[in-house]
Amino acid sequence: MSDTQSFSGGIVVSGVRRAFGTVYAVRDVSFTAEPGTVTALIGPNGSGKTTLMLMLASLLRPDAGRIRIAGHDPLTATSAVRQAVGWMPDVLGSWASLSVRSTLETTGRLYRMDRMTAAARAAELIALVGLTELADQPTRVLSRGQKQRLSLARALVHDPEVLLLDEPASGLDPVARIELRRLVRRVAAEGKTVLVSSHVLAELDEMADAAVYIEHGVTASTDRVAGAKRSARAWRIRSSDLLGLEHALLSIGVAQAEITRDRAELLVAVGSETAAAELLRRIVASGLPISVFAPAVGDLEHTFLDLSRSAAAVSVTRAPITTMPTTSMPITSTPTDSISIDGDGR
Amino acid sequence: MSAFWGGVAVILSLELRQRVRGIAWYVLLGVFVFLVAIVTVLLKLAFSFYPTGGEGVGDSGGASGGGAIFSAVIYFVLLLGTLVAPALSGTAINGDRDSGTLATTQVTLITTGQLLLGKFLAAWLAALAFLAAALPFLIYAAIQGGIDWATMIVSALVLIFELGIVAAIGVGLSGILNRPLFSIVVSYLVVAALSVGTLIAFGLGGVVVQSQVVGTERTFVNEPTDGSAGSELPVNPDAPMACGPPTVVESTVPRFDHFWGILVANPYVLLADAVPTQFDTNSYPVDLFGVIKMGVRSVQIAPDLHPVNDYCKDFAAGPNAKQIINSTAPGWAVGMALHLLLALGSLFWAYRRTRTPSGKLPTGTRIA
Ligand SMILES: Nc1ncnc2c1ncn2[C@@H]1O[C@H](COP(=O)(O)OP(=O)(O)O)[C@@H](O)[C@H]1O
Ligand SMILES: [Mg+2]
Repeated sequence: MSDTQSFSGGIVVSGVRRAFGTVYAVRDVSFTAEPGTVTALIGPNGSGKTTLMLMLASLLRPDAGRIRIAGHDPLTATSAVRQAVGWMPDVLGSWASLSVRSTLETTGRLYRMDRMTAAARAAELIALVGLTELADQPTRVLSRGQKQRLSLARALVHDPEVLLLDEPASGLDPVARIELRRLVRRVAAEGKTVLVSSHVLAELDEMADAAVYIEHGVTASTDRVAGAKRSARAWRIRSSDLLGLEHALLSIGVAQAEITRDRAELLVAVGSETAAAELLRRIVASGLPISVFAPAVGDLEHTFLDLSRSAAAVSVTRAPITTMPTTSMPITSTPTDSISIDGDGR
Repeated sequence: MSAFWGGVAVILSLELRQRVRGIAWYVLLGVFVFLVAIVTVLLKLAFSFYPTGGEGVGDSGGASGGGAIFSAVIYFVLLLGTLVAPALSGTAINGDRDSGTLATTQVTLITTGQLLLGKFLAAWLAALAFLAAALPFLIYAAIQGGIDWATMIVSALVLIFELGIVAAIGVGLSGILNRPLFSIVVSYLVVAALSVGTLIAFGLGGVVVQSQVVGTERTFVNEPTDGSAGSELPVNPDAPMACGPPTVVESTVPRFDHFWGILVANPYVLLADAVPTQFDTNSYPVDLFGVIKMGVRSVQIAPDLHPVNDYCKDFAAGPNAKQIINSTAPGWAVGMALHLLLALGSLFWAYRRTRTPSGKLPTGTRIA
């Protein structure tokens, strides 16, 4: 977080701001992403994730603040930053009449690789992202998910030190998502820095080592994140004897208001991990058949929702993106999923 | 430096593969070749009706039609090239931005200069393909004879230059304006303004600004036998011819000489003007370029507002084509400089607008 701490690699951002005319897309963003880790960039639509990524990728000039990518300033050492950064944009664009292979070869050539190296690298990446069968098809025939994979391969062409992935999982099927996760973890294990933005939090949960929360262009402070992590959250309990379970819970001393029924499961608000462990011990002791006992939402999602809830309470001027009635607990679907599609519909 | 040109070459080949290569492109070239063939055949036929050294046709080249065919084909390539180049170059940058491929190119090690230069060269090459396709007809015209090397080389060079100008303006506008359709339309408007607009402005200017001519004339009259005033007509065959008194003749002339500068910016005029003219034995130009050149040069000469025409004496014939051309200013150099300025200016402006990391973005643009 502090800019006195100096990294030879990774991403260091402090006090970055960027406006478009009168619209502040990014107001005050500070964070550090260290080499060898995957950092999640989490925020609702329009919170400034893409704008931040553009500044990190040396495409957009910040109005204020300081950025270091692998130790270089995008404004003064632009080409060093470009050599170090692989950027996968959130818009799907490809050279429509070029084949998958020549798209990757051309990208390699744009990174000053010679013809042979570029061709070899293209072949490698095609296999890596699983587009072998489509390698010689023009990219205009690719489906959304396939284009997404091509875009990922393109970001990896020059084996970048820092990988910026803007909503990489949108449009991917479950298998491809798992592959993406594996790939991202592998890149991080090679000592690279990965920053992944998304508003689908469940998938980030398993991928990320650290998270940066951003809302209305401002990164949430560490204390707020810690506070949100500690706040009460819902646990999901499944039992074949739901009625018995409810009785047991009430007799243990759980208030009726903290229990919500969700199909064949009960959701119970629990204050902490220790409280949850204690609760589980006591239900099991009561002899009830329990098949599932798990947090209803992932860590990131829980923190994120709690942050946006407290942000909504603080700022009255801006409509909150997600308002969760405090009494009822989130149902199975992740509320962030159901928000409008990304605002930049181009 | 070689890294720089390497990058330009990658962009160039990318552009050619993306925009130019394709069936529609070859169809267009085919249609063009067909049209040029028709023009060539028709001109050849037309000239075969004139006997060698016939009236109005120079004895050094026009007779076989070589010069005429050559200049017609060159003009045809200029016409088609300036019509096609904006379509190819007019969306080079904003089209890429719309399809989401501009930012992914800019995030690589390609610089904005390489990007613009590569795109410009691609558009230029595409327009030059028309010249290449017309080459057989130009060679045919050359075989017909009567065209000298200077004419061929200079006209081809000016043609290549002008196609480059249009390509550069198209690429520039595609970087300056956000909407692809709009930038194509504006590119066409620029081409139309230069090709047709200059002619209209020239014509209108000359008609609007007219000058009073007060001339003095003396003509032969019939000396009347009865001492009354002489009259020109009807001629009295019995009466002797004599010189009449000077008469004042008033009229107005359009002052095209104030506006010839406008024509300098016209690519067709510019091309004709730049080509060194060959004259026949009557000091008359042998090809279309020469005729146009004579026309645009003669409008530089201010009309005599107080002419004295004494038809009783042998009056001097006006200057011939050769004298006109040799005594007037070669405007083509100015025109080329002007075009170069326009092209470089729009490319530079586009460079300022597409440079990354971008500072101020035009409203409504997203980088990606
Ligand atoms: N080029 C631009 N011009 C004007 N407003 C923009 C531009 N780019 C982004 N914005 C605005 O900035 C805000 C943040 O956008 P963005 O960074 O795309 O958010 P996210 O990626 O988190 O969904 C949005 O309100 C968006 O409308
Ligand atoms: Mg976005």
